[in-house]
Amino acid sequence: MIANIIQTTGLTRSYGDICALKPLDVQVPEGEWLSVMGHSGSGKSTFMNLVGGLDRPSAGSLSVGGEDLLALTEDGLARFRREFIGIIFQQHHLVPYLTAVENVMMAQYFHSVPDEAEARSALERVGLGHRLKNRPGELSGGEQQRVCIARAIINSPKLLLGDEPTGNLDHKSTIMVMELLRELRSEERFTVIMVTHNQEVAAWGDRTIYLDDGVLVRDERANSR
Amino acid sequence: MKRLPRLCWNLISSPFTCPSVIGIFVLVYIGIAFITDDALIVLMELVRRNGILVLLLALLPIASLARLIKEIRCFRSGYQISTGDPSHDGASLFDEAVELETAAPFDGIEETIRTQGYTIRKEENRLAAWRGITHAPARLIFLLATLCLYSGIFISLIFRTSYRGPVIEGEPMPGLSQDGGIVERIRLENGKGTILSKRLTIDVAPSGQGGGQASFGIYPPGLYQGSFVYPRYLGIALLVRFSAPDMHGTFEKHAVLNMYPAGKEAEVQIPESPYKLVTSLAEPDDGLDPYITGRMVFNVKLSKDKDVVLSGVLPGGGELNREGYCIAFPDYRRMVLTDFIQDYGVYFIWGALSLYGIALLYWLPVRVFFPRREMLFVRGGINDMVTAYSRTEGRERSHNSLFHNLLDMLDIGKIQPGG
Amino acid sequence: MIVIKLIPHAVSWAVIALFLVRGFHAGRLMVIISGSGGFALGALGALVLFRLLPPESAFGIIRGGLGVSLLLLWGVAVMAAYRPFWKRTTYFEGTGFTVMCACLAGCMAGAVSASRLSGSGTSLAPYLALILVGGALASYAGAVEKRIPEWFIVGGPSLAAVVVALLLYGSSLSLRLDLFAPLTMKVMKFAHDFVHQFMESMLIPDHVFIRSNLWKYIGVLFGKEIGFWGALVIWFTPLLLIVYAIQFEPLPSVAHIRQGAERRRLLAVFIHIRRYRLIPALLAVLVLTAAVYRSCVPSVEYWDPKPIVVTATPVGDIFIPRKGDIDLEDGKLHKYLFRQGGKEARFFIIMGPSGKLTVVLDACAICKPDGYGQAEGTVICYYCKTLIPLDTVGRSGGCNPVPLAFSEKDDGVHINAVTLMNEWDNTVQTTTKVKGAGK
Repeated sequence: MIANIIQTTGLTRSYGDICALKPLDVQVPEGEWLSVMGHSGSGKSTFMNLVGGLDRPSAGSLSVGGEDLLALTEDGLARFRREFIGIIFQQHHLVPYLTAVENVMMAQYFHSVPDEAEARSALERVGLGHRLKNRPGELSGGEQQRVCIARAIINSPKLLLGDEPTGNLDHKSTIMVMELLRELRSEERFTVIMVTHNQEVAAWGDRTIYLDDGVLVRDERANSR
Repeated sequence: MKRLPRLCWNLISSPFTCPSVIGIFVLVYIGIAFITDDALIVLMELVRRNGILVLLLALLPIASLARLIKEIRCFRSGYQISTGDPSHDGASLFDEAVELETAAPFDGIEETIRTQGYTIRKEENRLAAWRGITHAPARLIFLLATLCLYSGIFISLIFRTSYRGPVIEGEPMPGLSQDGGIVERIRLENGKGTILSKRLTIDVAPSGQGGGQASFGIYPPGLYQGSFVYPRYLGIALLVRFSAPDMHGTFEKHAVLNMYPAGKEAEVQIPESPYKLVTSLAEPDDGLDPYITGRMVFNVKLSKDKDVVLSGVLPGGGELNREGYCIAFPDYRRMVLTDFIQDYGVYFIWGALSLYGIALLYWLPVRVFFPRREMLFVRGGINDMVTAYSRTEGRERSHNSLFHNLLDMLDIGKIQPGG
Repeated sequence: MIVIKLIPHAVSWAVIALFLVRGFHAGRLMVIISGSGGFALGALGALVLFRLLPPESAFGIIRGGLGVSLLLLWGVAVMAAYRPFWKRTTYFEGTGFTVMCACLAGCMAGAVSASRLSGSGTSLAPYLALILVGGALASYAGAVEKRIPEWFIVGGPSLAAVVVALLLYGSSLSLRLDLFAPLTMKVMKFAHDFVHQFMESMLIPDHVFIRSNLWKYIGVLFGKEIGFWGALVIWFTPLLLIVYAIQFEPLPSVAHIRQGAERRRLLAVFIHIRRYRLIPALLAVLVLTAAVYRSCVPSVEYWDPKPIVVTATPVGDIFIPRKGDIDLEDGKLHKYLFRQGGKEARFFIIMGPSGKLTVVLDACAICKPDGYGQAEGTVICYYCKTLIPLDTVGRSGGCNPVPLAFSEKDDGVHINAVTLMNEWDNTVQTTTKVKGAGK
């Protein structure tokens, strides 16, 4: 039996009077690719932020990889993010004056210690072996996103979070990035939570949940679609 | 090797031996320092006289020689391993050794290694890669220098003999042998070097023992009949002639006086009389060094018991006659008070200092710019396991990172064609 | 007053106990008991020493113990620096070793603390009170240690560094236990002899042939400053070796781990812990610096009266009355200044512990004539900070003030002015010939 890597019970997040996420019960088994869909303001990003330890819930329970995130101190949460989570954003958030390999090494630095050979190898794995010394401004959108993927997986996360990772990419680049993610997942066996508007991108997942106004309205497995 | 000799060898060649021996000497020094203020001199004297301490001191060069031999062997083994001699198991010579159960060929990692600037030697089941220059020669030179230093200290401390004598113009060279050549000339000149302010030359005629013409300076000291000629102080050899109204006859004596530079006083006691002559070189009006120019004028002070009875100025070769007293310096010659030192340890110490310099000159650029980094991958054994070795003499983080990455590539077969 | 004097020692002991408990993981109670036992033993030992021996010998023994501590620290530091070569490190573990170390540290701390009581007579009560306080402080330190975060790691060499540093700090508070000042003098002498012997051995020419500006630099090696800097090297090198050993401890081999992030994480954890392990060693550096400061700027106030100008009779007799404005028999040092023909000479009169008056120059035969002050049963040479026990004032040699011939009569002390001036001239001529010439 595969254990759940994420388990939430009555997970709630309110900002003052506004309830971004209403009590939510979700279980995500280890190694699953979960797509989270919904229109703007439906609570997708709030859910991702909570699961990634970037935000704290207002109520309910949240366990990720056996860690009760509500019980963790700020330091504990930082360690959890460092060692457990990899994130890919729609905006790449690459440091513009560092090269591709240095951007990846920066993630290593915040995790532990930098290791250039490993960073280089990670970039080679995402097909950027020839662009190691290029700065983000010299890379296409798809290449930048691949640097982000190398940066996200360099610390061997158990959970990879994607917040509209292909939102800024054309169709061809989107396919390339998604194929890459699938290949890496099969090698590294991490769990993926992908927040997206795009039905086609969501279809790459094993399962899709739909949020509307902070409420889980639909939960579909890939084979049931 | 038998057990006892091996134990002895291990003890002697251990890196702890020399520090331990030095530690013992430091403890002895501290002990002596509690008793006397001249601890170093007492310790040196003690070492010369005490058999156990002599043996202990002898252990220093012996242990450093053993260490040198051991490290040469080690260096040779390392070289043989990296050049592919399969008879050597090198686990102990490397920093890291890992076994991998993988069937991946070495071809896949070859290009990655090569792109990092490593040179590769590949055989059927073996891949050795290296980069940079080994600092082993510097290490060996350092150990050789240490051996020389300890040997020099030992020889110098135990076997040094020295004799101090005046070298006087026109007189034979003093020394242990009675057959020294005649000192033809002593010359002192103002030096132009950054270290020495004076240049001294002692010219010696051939001696009866077959020694040829010789000339000695200040530094480096020359060798005369097996002894270093080590000039210590300058002075004048004076022929002193003295008569007083209450003395019978005239006193005449050659006196060797340590009276350089001008103004420095030296005494001549007139035997069996209450008279004492105190003399010094007078400061010349032209400001030139009288020892250099040879124009010597002497200040003279004659005292009887505690009273000064006569004082005046006396040119070299001149005479001072007053109140019945007569003082004359009919002959005066330059003199160098010299130590004749038989000590071959000095060569070793000079050699050691030079070798330390060479070792540093080699080590520093190599360590900073081209540190040696080595990897070795060997396939073999029961399950066709790959054993990987790595060692580095600098920039270990980047080397280790590459090494670990190569292991990852071999392990999970993440080898991409063409790197 | 004595209680105030003991406060820094109490704090030092409490911190030592704290570090012992943290440094030796095996049994908090055992460390506290053995440490307190050692403290009691040290305090009682000091009492016995002060009862049986003259104060100088008693202080000398305790100071010798402190010197041995410094030597041991040197041993530990060298071993730490050589650690990559060690195949076994289990020699210095186990219960027996823990008890021995805690006991020794306590013993030295107890002896140093108790030496502050030496001036309060030989009554047992203050010593017993000190022992009780020592035990209480060790127990309190044990309780406090539980609250210190776990990341505060104290390794063996760091523990030795902190303990010895605190012991030396404690000793620097007392003039007669201070180790740094005598060390300075020993180093000065060693440097002098070593340079001389080195030049002789290597047949390097003497100053006659060397350029005077270069000789000035060589001359630095014969000065007082070389003693100070050399002593600093001896003082701090063990700590620097320990810091070096910790900072450059080889990273663990992670080649067997087949995940880069895990490898890096292990290395990062190691590097992180290594940084924390530096804290105690760096703390010891601070404490030793404080000890040097206390040694160079002691808080002890010296009795150093302004010299009274005296004159001689026409026949050259200087007379100092036994009981006038000044009582020569009050056990204090009394300084006088005599002027004649543009020259002047200083001397002092003091009544020694034996009850006899002594007249000596305010200068010694080897140091520059900076004079003497009186403190804690000794006189101190201001130039070289050497302490001269009062019972040896009047004897010649070393840094003792140069004795002066005098005649003691019922009414006072008579000194010959010519003798005084000649002695002063001879002494000053010798000691000022070479700047800083001395021991």
